[in-house]
Amino acid sequence: MKKLKFFVSLLFLFGLLAGCVSQNSATSNKSANNGQASETKNDANGKLKIAVVPKLVGIPYFNAAEKGALQAGKDLGVDVIYTGPTEADAAQQVKIIEDLISQKVDVIAVAPNDPASLTPVLKKAKEQGIKVIDWDTPADQSIVELSIHQIDDEIYGRHIAKTLIEKIGTDKGEIAILTGGLSAANLNAWIDAAKKELEENYPGIKLVTDKIATDEKQQVAYQKTLDLIKSYPNLKGIMAFSTPAPLGAAQAIQEKGLQNKITVVGTALPKDSKPFLEDQSLDVAILWEPNKLGYLTVALAKDLVEGKKPQDGQNIDNVGKIEVKEDGKTVIMGPPTDFTAENAGNYDF
Amino acid sequence: MKIALSKENILGLIALALFVVMTIIAPGFLSAENINNMMFQLPEFGLLALGMMVVIITGGIDLSITYTAALSGVSIAMMQSHGYPMMISILVGILIGLACGFMNGFIVTRIGVSPILVTLGTMILFEGVILSITKGNSISGFSDWYNLIGNGYYLGLIPLSMIIFIFFAVVTSVLLGKTYWGRCVYMIGSNSVASLFSGINTSRVILKVYLYASFLAAISAIIMTSRYNTAKVDLGSSYLLQSVAAAVLGGTEIQGGYGKVVGTVYAVMIFQILSNGLNLLEVPRTIVNVIMGAILIAVLVINFAKTKLGNKDRMQVTS
Amino acid sequence: MKSIMKKEASIAVIIIILSIVLSFINPVFLTIDNILDILKGNVVLGILAMGMTLVIITGGIDVSVAAVTTAVCVVIGKLLVMVPDHIGALFLLLVIACLLGIILGGINGFLVSKIEIPAIVVTLGTMSMINGIVLYVTNGQYLNSTDFPKVFLKFSNIKILGVSILIWLFFLIAILTWFLLKHTVMGREILAIGGNKESALRVGINFNKVQIFVFAYMGFLAGIAAIAQISYTKAVDPNGLSGLELSVIAAVVLGGTNIMGGRGTVIGTILGVLLLGIIQNGLILARIDIFWQKVVVGLIILLAVSYDHIQYKRAQAQLSRIEIDS
Repeated sequence: MKKLKFFVSLLFLFGLLAGCVSQNSATSNKSANNGQASETKNDANGKLKIAVVPKLVGIPYFNAAEKGALQAGKDLGVDVIYTGPTEADAAQQVKIIEDLISQKVDVIAVAPNDPASLTPVLKKAKEQGIKVIDWDTPADQSIVELSIHQIDDEIYGRHIAKTLIEKIGTDKGEIAILTGGLSAANLNAWIDAAKKELEENYPGIKLVTDKIATDEKQQVAYQKTLDLIKSYPNLKGIMAFSTPAPLGAAQAIQEKGLQNKITVVGTALPKDSKPFLEDQSLDVAILWEPNKLGYLTVALAKDLVEGKKPQDGQNIDNVGKIEVKEDGKTVIMGPPTDFTAENAGNYDF
Repeated sequence: MKIALSKENILGLIALALFVVMTIIAPGFLSAENINNMMFQLPEFGLLALGMMVVIITGGIDLSITYTAALSGVSIAMMQSHGYPMMISILVGILIGLACGFMNGFIVTRIGVSPILVTLGTMILFEGVILSITKGNSISGFSDWYNLIGNGYYLGLIPLSMIIFIFFAVVTSVLLGKTYWGRCVYMIGSNSVASLFSGINTSRVILKVYLYASFLAAISAIIMTSRYNTAKVDLGSSYLLQSVAAAVLGGTEIQGGYGKVVGTVYAVMIFQILSNGLNLLEVPRTIVNVIMGAILIAVLVINFAKTKLGNKDRMQVTS
Repeated sequence: MKSIMKKEASIAVIIIILSIVLSFINPVFLTIDNILDILKGNVVLGILAMGMTLVIITGGIDVSVAAVTTAVCVVIGKLLVMVPDHIGALFLLLVIACLLGIILGGINGFLVSKIEIPAIVVTLGTMSMINGIVLYVTNGQYLNSTDFPKVFLKFSNIKILGVSILIWLFFLIAILTWFLLKHTVMGREILAIGGNKESALRVGINFNKVQIFVFAYMGFLAGIAAIAQISYTKAVDPNGLSGLELSVIAAVVLGGTNIMGGRGTVIGTILGVLLLGIIQNGLILARIDIFWQKVVVGLIILLAVSYDHIQYKRAQAQLSRIEIDS
């Protein structure tokens, strides 16, 4: 009997809840809008506050971007808050953005870990009068006012595939793909583009297995590459996506002395990959310059608040010419940079 | 008698003190939006911590709790994106969560493997299952109604998810404190052999414990998927060790036998206030972790000092 | 006494079955090259598992191992860039690494024994603090081998009888731990405390001393593991070891050490490490679909622990039957 009563009251409670919820999120929106009016006044006496949120903090790639973003803040006279989760976790990132909204920043530029998960919180930011843009990885395009891409995903993926074939020297043979994590959207986009390039233009190339996850760790990439070499003795080339993966792959090649047999091409930072580039265990590292991406994000965010839209071919100081797609909000920083043994020493990231 | 403060009361005071300190030093901490923020952020983590607490009271641990949540979240998302009605998909999601809990409970009780090993295995297993279902992609496509669960307000004041959390906190507290099952949970935690010999069906009780933990994980998954509008393999994965930390900070004995809902709720609040307040102060995230760790140890040192002092008093009285 | 070795035997059986299956699927598995690769790849895990075995035998646990190892790695990495290219510097670094590890482990031990905080809580706290500090100081900056002294690189490439020095290092640590556990007073005390704390205390064993010792030993091994890790990857990655603590604990417990304390052997732990290493290695060699790999790993672990336990139960049942018969 007791149990029954308990469940009845439980059901009743849920019924009560379900009845009252929908209408009320609307009223709260209204109250949020009221708050907005007073906020804009607050901003008048201070500098612009631009929040740049990376996927996570504490990895070299996003550190380089941070340097660029902070430099831009100094150059352009705006306050830059660069903060992100310590793990690439969507839930943590949402919390950080919520806290930024409480801080009443003017712009939030975010590199989403999981685009869909940010949609509600970015909507909320917009309702509060905060400008929302994305960088590094696209967010929900119906919400952001600007979408800053380091690169055109399609071109990038194809470029990596093409470079690999070029370096192998023949368009017949077996290759493998390493990736940072199976669920990383941008890595998946590049891999898909690379695969398309191979299918369309190099039918003689055979992919031995599906992309292999390396948990964003060099050591795992190293071990998996060793296993790959053993499993597929005819392997000619490896494409490694995510910044630690090419290093691990190259290390395995280096140790087994297979520099001339297996070609490795990947997305690594020049400073980290220099020792591997020098002894040819890594053939080419292909990436963009993340510090410029950080700089560009802050520069365009500032322009956006001031009402200036980016123009195709516009020259941004310290970054270079940018490309703007037809929709007027997708900005592409430029073509990828190839880092090789010759030029890798010239960069400090 | 002067030192009548229980562990839980001390925690409550610490939470309150932190709240006051943050109000003073963190700009915008006390604003209505920020308070709402915190109320939206707390439930998903709180529910997982409660689930973890119940398991820890029996002397076990559930390492698979976040992947249980992720698996039921993913199944809800799959169902909805394929056009099934919301209620049915939620029900299926909860059932799948319960199935995960049953698997843990079954192996722990019937085969007798230690919980940490079982849940370590199922953790990897569930992660693998999600990966093979989703291929690593995130799944979205929820109805607007569903999005209200994690984002809507109840009576325009309190986030609905907060109500759900309070409701389950009360339920957990009643279940543990007022029912036969609850008393058995504590007894098994303090001495499982003795409880078996005193006629308690320990394996049934423990099985239910894992079922209940996975149920709370599934509820947390509903809130998370609704709030983040997506489900993915790493849904809430960063909560795993945090939920253990919250349970133990809340006074739960890691060897089992003791633990109160109030304590865990206070602990969750402490984490929430710290994380939010330090963010507002623009403290780097890495330092936030350092402070959280320091608080965890500091609170336990205080508890230790307090019991030491209490013992001394008692010694003096007797001598 | 027989039933004690049974645990190790059942893991050995699982390893043998797995190996046979794998070598049928892919003959490469059974080549010496591959086996050496597996061993070398799991040296860090193995060294840490040795220390963890002692910690778990006393009824404790240490989830901060990966963090401590990373911290030592980072400090040594910074020093490596500075030291002269001389063999003496190498020894100095080894000593520093061990000392640093012992200090960090000692802090854990102090909090666990003197302040009586449960080990999992202490180490959760120190893990979060150490990780935070490491990330704050290094900003995740990765160090590669360009600036490392030549002598260090030479050290990591040394091979004795065709086997990498790292593998020898692991065996050395294993023998040391085995000796410690079997043939020293401290070792007997560790086992005694895990077996029955009350009676151990009554016989006059200093519980605090033993606990501080096991955590300090754990730290000491973390220091050595840090050197092994740097030699293995020839780089320092502040994020590279995250999550390793769970593998270490898994290896130890798979190897038959009782998580509640009291029982555990070095051989068992070595087998546990091997099992994990072979599973990882086999996934690609067996050409298992990438998305199903984790399912396979989870199932193997569950099967292994269940099989082990069912064996144990059967043995127990047999024992009681014999008692009734006689």
